[in-house]
Amino acid sequence: MRTKRGWFAFPYMIWMALFVVIPIVIMLVYSLTVPVETAEGESLQGSLENFTGMAQYMSVFGRSFWLALIATVICLAIGYPVAFLMSREGPGFQRLAMALIMLPMWMNFLLRTYSWMAILENNGLLNQLFQKLGIIALYNRLTGADIDHFQMIRTSGAVVLGMVYNYLPFMILPIYTVLTKLDHRLIEAAEDLGANASTVFRRVTLPLSVSGIVSGVTMVFVPSVSTFAISRLLGGGKQMMLGDLIENQFLGGAYNPHLGAAISMVMMVIVVICMLVMNHFGDGEGEAVML
Amino acid sequence: MRKNRFGSRFLIGLCFLFLYLPIFLLIFFSFNAGDSSAVWRGFSLQWYAELFHNRLVLESLATTLLVSLLATAISTVAGTFAAIGIYALTKKWRDPVLVVNDLPMMNADIVTGVSLLLLFVAFFHGWGSVANWLNSWQSLIRFPTRLTLGLGTLLIAHVSFNIPYVILNVSPRLRQMDANLVEAAQDLGCTWMQAFFKVILPEIKPGIVSGALIAFTMSVDDFVISYFTAGSSIQTLSMAIYGMTKKRVTPVVNAVSTLMFLAVLIVLVVNNIREARQAKLAAKRASFEPVRENPRVERFREWMSTPRGRLVRRVTAIVLCAAFLGTVTFLTAFTTSRPVVNVCSWGEYIDEDLISEFEAQTGIRVNYQTTDSNETLYSLLKSGGADYDVVVPSDYMISQLIEEGMLEELDYSQIPNFEKIGDRFKNLPYDPENRYTVPYTWGTVGIIYNSALVEDEIDSWSALYDDKYAGQVLLIGNSRDAFGIALKYLGYSMNTTDEAEITEAYELVRDAYERGVFQGKVMDEVFQTMEGGNAAFATYYAGDYLSMLENNEDLRFVVPKEGSNWFVDAMCVLKDAPNYDNAMKWINFIASTDSNLRNMDYIWYASPNEEALELYPEWYEEQYGEELDPEIYSIMAAPDEVLDKCEMYVCLPKATRSLYNDLWIKLGI
Repeated sequence: MRTKRGWFAFPYMIWMALFVVIPIVIMLVYSLTVPVETAEGESLQGSLENFTGMAQYMSVFGRSFWLALIATVICLAIGYPVAFLMSREGPGFQRLAMALIMLPMWMNFLLRTYSWMAILENNGLLNQLFQKLGIIALYNRLTGADIDHFQMIRTSGAVVLGMVYNYLPFMILPIYTVLTKLDHRLIEAAEDLGANASTVFRRVTLPLSVSGIVSGVTMVFVPSVSTFAISRLLGGGKQMMLGDLIENQFLGGAYNPHLGAAISMVMMVIVVICMLVMNHFGDGEGEAVML
Repeated sequence: MRKNRFGSRFLIGLCFLFLYLPIFLLIFFSFNAGDSSAVWRGFSLQWYAELFHNRLVLESLATTLLVSLLATAISTVAGTFAAIGIYALTKKWRDPVLVVNDLPMMNADIVTGVSLLLLFVAFFHGWGSVANWLNSWQSLIRFPTRLTLGLGTLLIAHVSFNIPYVILNVSPRLRQMDANLVEAAQDLGCTWMQAFFKVILPEIKPGIVSGALIAFTMSVDDFVISYFTAGSSIQTLSMAIYGMTKKRVTPVVNAVSTLMFLAVLIVLVVNNIREARQAKLAAKRASFEPVRENPRVERFREWMSTPRGRLVRRVTAIVLCAAFLGTVTFLTAFTTSRPVVNVCSWGEYIDEDLISEFEAQTGIRVNYQTTDSNETLYSLLKSGGADYDVVVPSDYMISQLIEEGMLEELDYSQIPNFEKIGDRFKNLPYDPENRYTVPYTWGTVGIIYNSALVEDEIDSWSALYDDKYAGQVLLIGNSRDAFGIALKYLGYSMNTTDEAEITEAYELVRDAYERGVFQGKVMDEVFQTMEGGNAAFATYYAGDYLSMLENNEDLRFVVPKEGSNWFVDAMCVLKDAPNYDNAMKWINFIASTDSNLRNMDYIWYASPNEEALELYPEWYEEQYGEELDPEIYSIMAAPDEVLDKCEMYVCLPKATRSLYNDLWIKLGI
């Protein structure tokens, strides 16, 4: 079967060539050109100008990758245990839970985010709750500060929260699907051989779920890097992220798709490198255990 | 494992609480009597009632469901087979294919959207000549020579960003599967297809299900890519919602989301109960007899695998496909045979009854689309992605469009209502000879502040840069307004091209930024943040202030003494508009006094129709049985002495626009 059905991938490869590769080539051309005014209007001219100025955005790159990394780690820390526990439940519960995990994401992103804003605002639900519970008064007494609210909205923390919230299901689902298919005989065998619960998890369950983790991490980390609306709404747009920076080139007053394309290309290259490193690591792990 | 059930469920429950907390809140606000998503004004079902009259939301919901379901179905099947194929490739091939597979996910949505649009436009361009050649070469089939963006391109875009997610979910299950199983099945006489259905499919089913779930989610939620690929006649719910963010997202959307949520929830729960019951029954039976399905089902299955059954199966499939294609063709033919006008405006910027009235009067169908900013619209137009007839940009954008030759002159002989537009709204700097535009609304920008949090009398922009209110000021979220206000405060023109002046304005904003004066940059979020009393100051439009005032009486509005910006949004027609005459009819209809009165009442922005402007207080009294507060009226339609202080934006030269943009980015780095 291994060699026989490889052609199944060909139609999709053609599709990818048409609707993934060609658009990216178009953008690559964009990123390598700049518009110049000539006598008969605007024309394009090859140039590396878009890339040479990239250094000034270093901090934006750093911030985006850093926050995306934090969000991914948090998603993994929450998502793995939840997926693990879910996979131990009865089949009815599992089916329901799987659908229920995705359901919130069917509500429009903006509405969800507005709701989070209402929760996190200075005068919002959480701060009112803290006030009622006396947490703010306690904090003031302990630290000698004098605040009437915690600043939660329009901070980097809120941006990470938004990422975790929006991508957590994408972490849970692939890990969960892998865990449900785990061969229980392997676990029993490990137990029979005298491994305690934590050893079983560390030496058997975890390595066997690496492929799910890799999928989950990809689906959380990759879109987190390029997200734009989360940082604008929850982060108050105070600190730009890559997504904002790119969006700004296309939808800002200056309309410079060439620079936008260039930033996007650089971002993509970095993400590809991250993914290759991870895939390599994941592959090695997964197969070593299989053998 | 049983012993720990409670602890386990508790942890899962916590995770669900986190996921559902905002959802409950948005459901809660769908029952709000007010239109705020921050201030509760009592229980009401009005948004649900309104939902059923709201054609834009209902139509876009239908489009969303159609596109998302189709895209999910196609990409799940295609993605599953692709995953099987990729899995069978050797590692040398597999890794690069998987990387390319991940590319659409890595790319910023907007880059994917724009590049797909460019591809489609280029293809349509080439197609025109190919179709002409084909038509001249044979006369059997007439190929359409002019393709446009629409359902087809939208679907292609959705499928291509969905497939990667399906593959990512199916692949881990495939790798987990024992490849020997398939071989065993084949050794036992299965064809590959049978082995697929009997062995592979059950093994990878959870992966397919989660892939499909994620694909559907991505489809429903996508805005940017849809915006660039949907063309000018259809729009998804997400696009409609983002379009509303120029103003406020109406709670009608909360209502429609709540209904969707409940529908899915009910289906899930009912399904689960049914399955649980069946499982119980099966378990009971299993104790004394082998598990058996319903004999009828079993007989049906057996019959299906006979040659005759197979034939029936195939015929049914073909008939269903044909029926589906037929419906699609019929619908396209139906919608294209009627005269139409494609309009693009801001969301929540029209009394929607006007649309149906226009349709009833003229028999012209209005494809009404919305967008959220001048720049978003420009970006779409610039990439060649829209054949709108009528657009409603703001002053400075109009002059940019005129400058770049993107607008068509209007035929004023077909717009008799243009007469009624006040003289002060004609021949404005953006269209000095008034050849391209008919004004739609106008208004001023000013400071909105919360009198419960601010003791001083506010009459100057200085309040926005004052340390006294550190952390309490919301900076308006676009460079033109933010720097324009700073320029005005410094005593310069908002339209200056002098670099030193603009830099000085930037430094003013940056210093305040660094001192922590600003809580953040906001656009449409300003509504809920100000209404909820979460910040003391913001700058926004007069009409929107009036809508906030309904939810928070402490809010005040002032046009500062240094002067401010006043704007006009006007209707214009794009170059080569396919339905030019219909566009004239639409513009004339909207320019009428009656339309203006109703729009003014709906959106709280002042009308340029002098008659409507004068009549409005009277009309208001008739409608609501109470007098219109003159103070409110003077905020809505600023009197001349306020307008005299104000300046209208003109289109800045390209170098200045770049400077604005660079400085704006510098603020956020």
